[in-house]
Amino acid sequence: MAPRLPARWAAALSTTSTSTIIPSRSLLITERHTLLPRTAKRGVKYGWSTANPRDKPNRFNQPSAGLPIPTAGPAAALKRKEQSTPFRTGILATKKGVSAMFNAKGMRIPCTILQMDQCQVVASKTRGGNGYWAVQVGCGHKTAGNVTAPLLGYYEAKGVAPKRHLAEFKVRGEEGLLPVGVQLQPDWFKVGQFVDARSNSRGMGFAGGMKRHGFAGQGASHGNSKNHRTIGTAGPSQGGGSRVHPGKKMPGRMGNERVTIQNLRVLKVDNETGIVVVNGHVAGPKGCIVQIADAIKKDPPAETFMEKAKRLLLERNPDHEARLEEARVAHMELKEMRKQGTIGQAVALM
Amino acid sequence: MITQASRRPLASWKAVLRRTRQQRQPLLLRSMATETTPTTPTPGAAMPIPPRKKPTFHTIKSNLPHKPIRTAFAVYPRPPSSRSTTPSPLISYHAQQIRRLDRTGARTALFSKSNPDAAKAGDVLQVTTNRGEPFAGVCLSIRRAGVDTAILLRNHLTKVGVEMWYKIYSPNVLGIEIIWRRPKRARRARLTYMRKPSHDMGNVDHLVEAWRRTRNVFSSKGKGAASNAGRAGKHAKKGRR
Repeated sequence: MAPRLPARWAAALSTTSTSTIIPSRSLLITERHTLLPRTAKRGVKYGWSTANPRDKPNRFNQPSAGLPIPTAGPAAALKRKEQSTPFRTGILATKKGVSAMFNAKGMRIPCTILQMDQCQVVASKTRGGNGYWAVQVGCGHKTAGNVTAPLLGYYEAKGVAPKRHLAEFKVRGEEGLLPVGVQLQPDWFKVGQFVDARSNSRGMGFAGGMKRHGFAGQGASHGNSKNHRTIGTAGPSQGGGSRVHPGKKMPGRMGNERVTIQNLRVLKVDNETGIVVVNGHVAGPKGCIVQIADAIKKDPPAETFMEKAKRLLLERNPDHEARLEEARVAHMELKEMRKQGTIGQAVALM
Repeated sequence: MITQASRRPLASWKAVLRRTRQQRQPLLLRSMATETTPTTPTPGAAMPIPPRKKPTFHTIKSNLPHKPIRTAFAVYPRPPSSRSTTPSPLISYHAQQIRRLDRTGARTALFSKSNPDAAKAGDVLQVTTNRGEPFAGVCLSIRRAGVDTAILLRNHLTKVGVEMWYKIYSPNVLGIEIIWRRPKRARRARLTYMRKPSHDMGNVDHLVEAWRRTRNVFSSKGKGAASNAGRAGKHAKKGRR
């Protein structure tokens, strides 16, 4: 198919049609079709079709073109992942230990106790600026001496104390974003709702095939010699090409990889002690960082609850807007002073 | 308990002292009783707005004599930290759950390390649950884990060794009673050797019978007293020793 009239041509034509200085260009213009190219597009010669030419695939597949929505590309990827992206952000917590809870029927429920410490929103990632919607959350604290200068500048611009851990939680849309600097509390989650817990599992070090992949090992006797826990043969012969296939399970580093435990029920939240108690177990040793977010395979908590949680969050941080604006202004001033080399005076003034 | 006094003079002293302690008990128990106030989260309660604190400066120094400060950054104050106020939330979680499940504090006292009259490994205990017969057996070990604390009882039923774990704070456990005290303190925390035939206590039913008879003598003779034994969850005699 012939390409449509390029924009440059159209612009040239529009100027010539008014001025008509150059007669050769004005030849392109007829009374009926002022801006159409001379090359014919429709006709038996070029393959006649009654379909609207604009419905055919075209490389200028713009949203305004009335064409089917593309199935590849960033927008399509976001659309595809929409169902598995939570409405709202998750939180960062520390695994404190495992205990049990007795429910109303007297049943014992094993549970994991997670503590949220200074969990704050640090930044928002937007579709326009970053290509996706996400909330960056930080937890814990770091003394300024242990933070690099670029990161100190980053936190300075946010008006947030330096954080020990940072993590991003993707959200479905703009409604899921939260203002920078607000502190998240355990009652962000509803008792009874389901969450997913992501953490790094306990590292096992270099482990053999039996421990790492559950291989059967070899016989203790029947002439076996010094090969009781080895993995045995690594590849087929003859038909298989007598080689080791890619991805062959072998001994190696085990554990210390990200593990997601899905659909854990929230049993208890307590703002005073900062704990979130979830049913069952979470991967990793005590003290590891756990990302908790609304479960993607269960229904999110009721919309009324989510609204209430967000309202409470904003009520607890009433001056977040002014705080952020102040920090931004101060950051720009300090940045300029750092460039000029006059930051020493500002420090002396403090 | 007292029957052994003639043969074991030391044990008699122990028993006598224990009895004098028990006579003091009611006063103490009354003072120990606590009304629980469960700490439910109050989402509606708005926190007071802390006054906005000014940031401090973190300076990075240089070795140049004419320019001592290389650069500096404003560092903002930290938000309120739950970790500094509650460094070990597991302990507070256990305390809160135990307050809820053990309102009188009797179970805690029965297995407390600081209580000289507490049940120890080697004692014969009887656990009454809300279903089935009470189970009596020698306590092989006490697994202390806050609200998840459990005891392991061993007995012989139909000449077969049977071991049962019981969570002491479980609402299904109605009462735990000390049937018989080991005359001499066990020198191990976990008496796994008692599974060996040479150390096995065998069936403890005769001890349970003897205990029931002594109880009937001391209490008001009727059948009601015997049937009330172990219904500690609803009476003041909970965790009676």
